[in-house]
Amino acid sequence: MKEGIEILLVEDSASDAEMTIKALKKNNLANKLLHLKDGSAALDFIFAEGTYAGRNVEDKPRVILLDLKMPKVNGIEVLERIRMDARTRTIPVVMLTSSKEDPDILRCYELGANSYVIKPVEFDEFQKAISNLGLFWMIVNQTLH
Amino acid sequence: MALIEKKNRINSPVKKTASLQNDWHIRQLAAIVQSSGDAIFTESIDGIIMSWNNSSEKLFGYSAEEAIGQHVSLIIPPECINESQRILERISQNESVESYEPLRRKKGGERLFVSITVSGLVDEERNIIGFSEIVRDITARRNSETVNSKELVFQKGEKKKRADELVIANKELAFQNEQKEKRSGELIIANKELAFQNSEKEKRAAEFIITNEEFASSNKEKEKRASELVLANKELETQNKEEFERATQLELVNKELESFSYSVSHDLRAPLRAIHGYARMLKELKEGQQDFEANRLMDNIIINSKKMGQLIDDLLTFSRLGRKELVRINISMNDMVTAICEELKFSQPAREIKFHIRPMVSVKADNVAMKQVWLNLISNSIKYSMFKKKTFIEIGSEEKENEIIYYVKDNGAGFDMRFVNKLFGIFQRLHTDEEFEGTGVGLAIVQRIIFKHGGRVWATGEVGEGATFYFALNKS
Repeated sequence: MKEGIEILLVEDSASDAEMTIKALKKNNLANKLLHLKDGSAALDFIFAEGTYAGRNVEDKPRVILLDLKMPKVNGIEVLERIRMDARTRTIPVVMLTSSKEDPDILRCYELGANSYVIKPVEFDEFQKAISNLGLFWMIVNQTLH
Repeated sequence: MALIEKKNRINSPVKKTASLQNDWHIRQLAAIVQSSGDAIFTESIDGIIMSWNNSSEKLFGYSAEEAIGQHVSLIIPPECINESQRILERISQNESVESYEPLRRKKGGERLFVSITVSGLVDEERNIIGFSEIVRDITARRNSETVNSKELVFQKGEKKKRADELVIANKELAFQNEQKEKRSGELIIANKELAFQNSEKEKRAAEFIITNEEFASSNKEKEKRASELVLANKELETQNKEEFERATQLELVNKELESFSYSVSHDLRAPLRAIHGYARMLKELKEGQQDFEANRLMDNIIINSKKMGQLIDDLLTFSRLGRKELVRINISMNDMVTAICEELKFSQPAREIKFHIRPMVSVKADNVAMKQVWLNLISNSIKYSMFKKKTFIEIGSEEKENEIIYYVKDNGAGFDMRFVNKLFGIFQRLHTDEEFEGTGVGLAIVQRIIFKHGGRVWATGEVGEGATFYFALNKS
C-alpha cells in the first residue's frame, strides 16, 4: 500500500496533520503520503531502521514535510541526519513551523533546508500554503534521481 | 801760554810803536786767552786760522803749529760749512750773533757738539779784518740731552703706546662695564626670580610640612582602612561567590526566558490553528454528514480549546515563579507529600494507585513552591503509568553530606535515556498528545523551583519500565 512513498509528512500535531493531508488531498497529492508523528520514527523510516528495517533507503520520497517542533527528535535533528548521509542528502526537505520568530530558522537554512513554511492560523491561508508547496514540489520541481 | 803770531800770514797791522802800557795790556790779554778753559782761536776774513790757544789744541786735537795757517774748514764738517759762512757774513754786516751750537770736527774726524761765540776783529778804521771764535765743548751736555730726549721720545712713545693701550683698555673696560651692567641687570632679574622661587620654595616647604603631617595622620587612617579593607575583601570574596552563583542562575533564567518566549508563540498558535481549522471544517460539512463527523470536529475544538487554557495556566504558573521571592520555612516533607497523594488519589477514583511514602528528611524551603514540585512530579507519575494495571509510586529521600536527595519513582511508560536532556526543557515533550496529553511545562516548573532553591534535578528511566525523578536541596 505505501510502496513508493512520494510525500513524507513528519508532524506530531494530529490537527495540523489532518489539515495538511486534507489540503493535499484536494489537489490529489496525498495518494502516496506517509504521516509519521515524531522525528525518531521519521529517521527510522528514512534510514530503514527499527520498525522500517528492510526498507530500501534508495527508495526516497520526492519531498519531506518536516515539522520543526516535535517530541524526542525534533525537525532540526532529522534534517541534520538527512543532510549528513550521502544516500539521503538530495531529498528536498520543507520545514514547517508555527512561528516566524523561531530561532531555528537560520539553522535550518544552514543545514540545507529547501524551504521554510510558517503554518498560518487562518484555515484558508493554511490550506493555500500547503496546496502551493505540494504542487510545487510534486509537479513543478524536478527531483534528482 | 805764548800767543804765537805768524806775522807774515796776518794782515792786521800791529803797531810797532805800542806804549809800555799797551804792551802790558796785550801780554795780559794774551795770557788770559792762552789759559782760558775754552778753545779760542782767531781767523782772518778769508778763514785762515791766525791764533790757536791751548784749549783749542786739547779740544780739536790739532797743535797750534798744525792749525795756524790752515783754513778754518779744518775743523768744520763739510755739512756745516755753509752755516758757518752765513754766520760770519752776518757778523761782517754788523749783526750780532751771540752764540750758536754747531757741529765741529776733531782731528781724526770725530764729531763734537760745540757752543761758539763769534766776534769780529776790527782795525783802527773799524773794518772787519777777521773773527775770534770762543768754542766750548758741549758734546757731553748734548749727549745727555740727546739721551734724555731719546729717553723722552722713548718715554713719549711708551706713553703713547700706553695711552693707546689705555684707550683700548678703556674701550675694553667700557665694553666690559656695559656687559657687566647688562649682566647685573640680568642678575637683578635672576635674583628677583630666585627670590620669588625661594619664597615659593618656602611656601611649598611649609605646605610639605603640612602635607607630611597630613600624611602621617592619613597613614594611620590608611592602616585602619587597610585592615578594614582586608575584612571587606573577605566579605567581597564571599559576595563574589554568591554573585557568581547568582550570575549562573541568571544565565539559566535568561536562556529559559528566551526559549520560553519563542515557545509561547509557537505552542499557543498550534491549538488556536486547530480550533480555527476544525470550526471551518464543521461549517463546510454537507447535509447528512453532520452526525458523526460533526461530533468529531466539535470534540477536537473542545480538546484544543481546553489545551490552550491549560497552556495559559501553566505559562502563568511558570512566569509567576520567576517573580516570587522564596520564603524558606521548615517543611515536613512527609506531611506535605501525604496530603498531595491523598488529593491526587481522590481525583482518580478509577485508578488503582499504591503510594509508598518512606520517612523523609525535613528541609527548609518555600512551602508553596515545594508543594508545586511534589504535585507536578507525582501527577506526572500517575499520568505516565495510566496504561499499567496497577500503579506503584515510591517516594523517599536520601541524606548526603551537603544535600538531601528526594525522589519519585514509578512503574510507568518511562523514557529513552537518549532524550534525558530534553525532559526539563519548557514545551519539550517526549510523547505526543495522542500518547500522553501535556503542555511540556510541568517539569520545566519543577526545574525552575529547584534551581531557585540552589538545588539540582535529574531523572533516570527506561522505556516501558518506569522512571525516577530526583531533586536535591542543600542542607543549609
